[in-house]
Amino acid sequence: MSAEGALRHDAFVYETRDEYVDRTIAFLMEGLDAGEAAIVGDSREGLAEMREAFGDDAEQVVFCDLGSTYTRPARTLAAYYGLFLGQLRKAPSVRAVAEMQLGPTPADWDEWTRYEAITNVSYSHLPVWIVCTYNATGLPDPVREGVWQTHAGKLADGWQESREFEDPREVVRNLTPAPNSFPELRAFSVENDVESFRELLARELVAEKVPDAKVLDMLVAGTEIATNALRHGGGIAQVRVGRAEGRFVCEVVDRGSGFDDPLAGYLAPRAGTASGLWVARQLAWRVEFFGAPEGFTARITL
Amino acid sequence: MDLDADPGPGSWLLPEQERDLVIATEAGDEAACRQLVDAFLPAIGAIARRYDTGGGVERGELIDEGVVGLLRAASRYEPRLNTPFWAYASWWVRQAMQKLVAEVSRPVALSDRALRGLARIAAARRDHIRDHGSDPTTGELAAATGFTAAQLGSLLAIELTPRGIDEGLYADDGSTATFGETVADPHADEDYERVLDGIQMQEVRYLTAALDDRERTVLSGHYGLGQPPQTLREIGEGLGVTPERVRQIEGVALQKLRDAAAQPPGAVTTLT
Repeated sequence: MSAEGALRHDAFVYETRDEYVDRTIAFLMEGLDAGEAAIVGDSREGLAEMREAFGDDAEQVVFCDLGSTYTRPARTLAAYYGLFLGQLRKAPSVRAVAEMQLGPTPADWDEWTRYEAITNVSYSHLPVWIVCTYNATGLPDPVREGVWQTHAGKLADGWQESREFEDPREVVRNLTPAPNSFPELRAFSVENDVESFRELLARELVAEKVPDAKVLDMLVAGTEIATNALRHGGGIAQVRVGRAEGRFVCEVVDRGSGFDDPLAGYLAPRAGTASGLWVARQLAWRVEFFGAPEGFTARITL
Repeated sequence: MDLDADPGPGSWLLPEQERDLVIATEAGDEAACRQLVDAFLPAIGAIARRYDTGGGVERGELIDEGVVGLLRAASRYEPRLNTPFWAYASWWVRQAMQKLVAEVSRPVALSDRALRGLARIAAARRDHIRDHGSDPTTGELAAATGFTAAQLGSLLAIELTPRGIDEGLYADDGSTATFGETVADPHADEDYERVLDGIQMQEVRYLTAALDDRERTVLSGHYGLGQPPQTLREIGEGLGVTPERVRQIEGVALQKLRDAAAQPPGAVTTLT
């Protein structure tokens, strides 16, 4: 289990699909025999293979087609979070095998290595044992390196501790690209209240012909960010909005000194923890926090 | 990924049009999605031709998978990185097709269910030949057995002798081509239309499903969604309530939207 709580997050880099099937099924069957829930997250093709291999025991396993959920880390985290909560209503703990859906570019690899680091913290309160699986064939070196940096344990001859495991916050900090500068955004001053902010934001969203459903997404996400600025940032100094790189962008500059937490908004909702930034990340393409000459800035990209 | 191998532009779209369509598709805009797919179908078809083994997987299925790959690429594509979209998306398209081909051609230990399925197909084929004097089409087999085309493809692939798509062919004049490049493509246009008609949009979270009609009216009116923005008083007059009551309704509506966003999405397909 992780140092922060109940979660255990390990990795298995396999050489052949037979090895993948044999080892992961043994892992999940051990859990089922002990009364735990079992989840397999994979692409449709991988699920068919696993279902076949489980045989009659497949009825006890939840098979999840996750091919379409690996879009943005925040959304993938939410998808798994929902799955875990669902199974934890039926069983005291969960074992899950999750086949990583990597992309083709180094930027993809960084993105999903960040995701793996975040996983260590996002579900740290849940009694879940996740084994992330990677096919060694063609696995890019940076990804392989990232696997050991982001998983505390690994399945090899037996369960082994990863000596390369690093503080998730440092991994995320190191792999997060610096925010681009968007001088084309329009700057506004707003009253220090959320309603004025929302009216301004809605006016600009409509002017930019953003679809209604996305307007509401941005209004909700923006409300969370603005509320944060009012409660913890000494008030809203400036709002900057407009289109950049083809997307609608809203920046809220506050009057405070800001914070330095690369995991802000990635903690799955739990008692005693505010979920405002989690909500913002679910609704936006990207949420960034950074220091700027105008002040500490929260940027929502729709 | 071999991004160094330039796959070409992939479509007739200008880079900015392409970017805007990708972003709108990711946001759930159905019209943009159809335009995007339409623009890249020829490029997807060209890749499908390379994977068309002429047996286990039908061309339409390959194109279906290619479209899924394209949409998956659209849902992840980051324009700020300046990678041309097709250079990124073609990897996903190829991967989707490769997986489909692998799925139907991998050697498997047949389950009882698969064996029963194959027996059903064999019986249907015998009946058809007896009644019509010719082999049944995939559609006729599907109708006779109750299997979908994909299920039929998976089962029939078990009986196929694999043939590499890059297997060389040698002509009398000394010219060479690969098997994949010579696969006939008589129904490409029909396939394109069928795929366009069958596009399944990615599931997008529409928070407004959490609202009732009055709450939608208040939010639309106050924030000018699809209409000029109204004051709380104007909205209240329309609903027969005070401006303060409108403010309360709006507060409840926003809280519902927030709560819906905090909930895990229901987009995960669980197959139990």
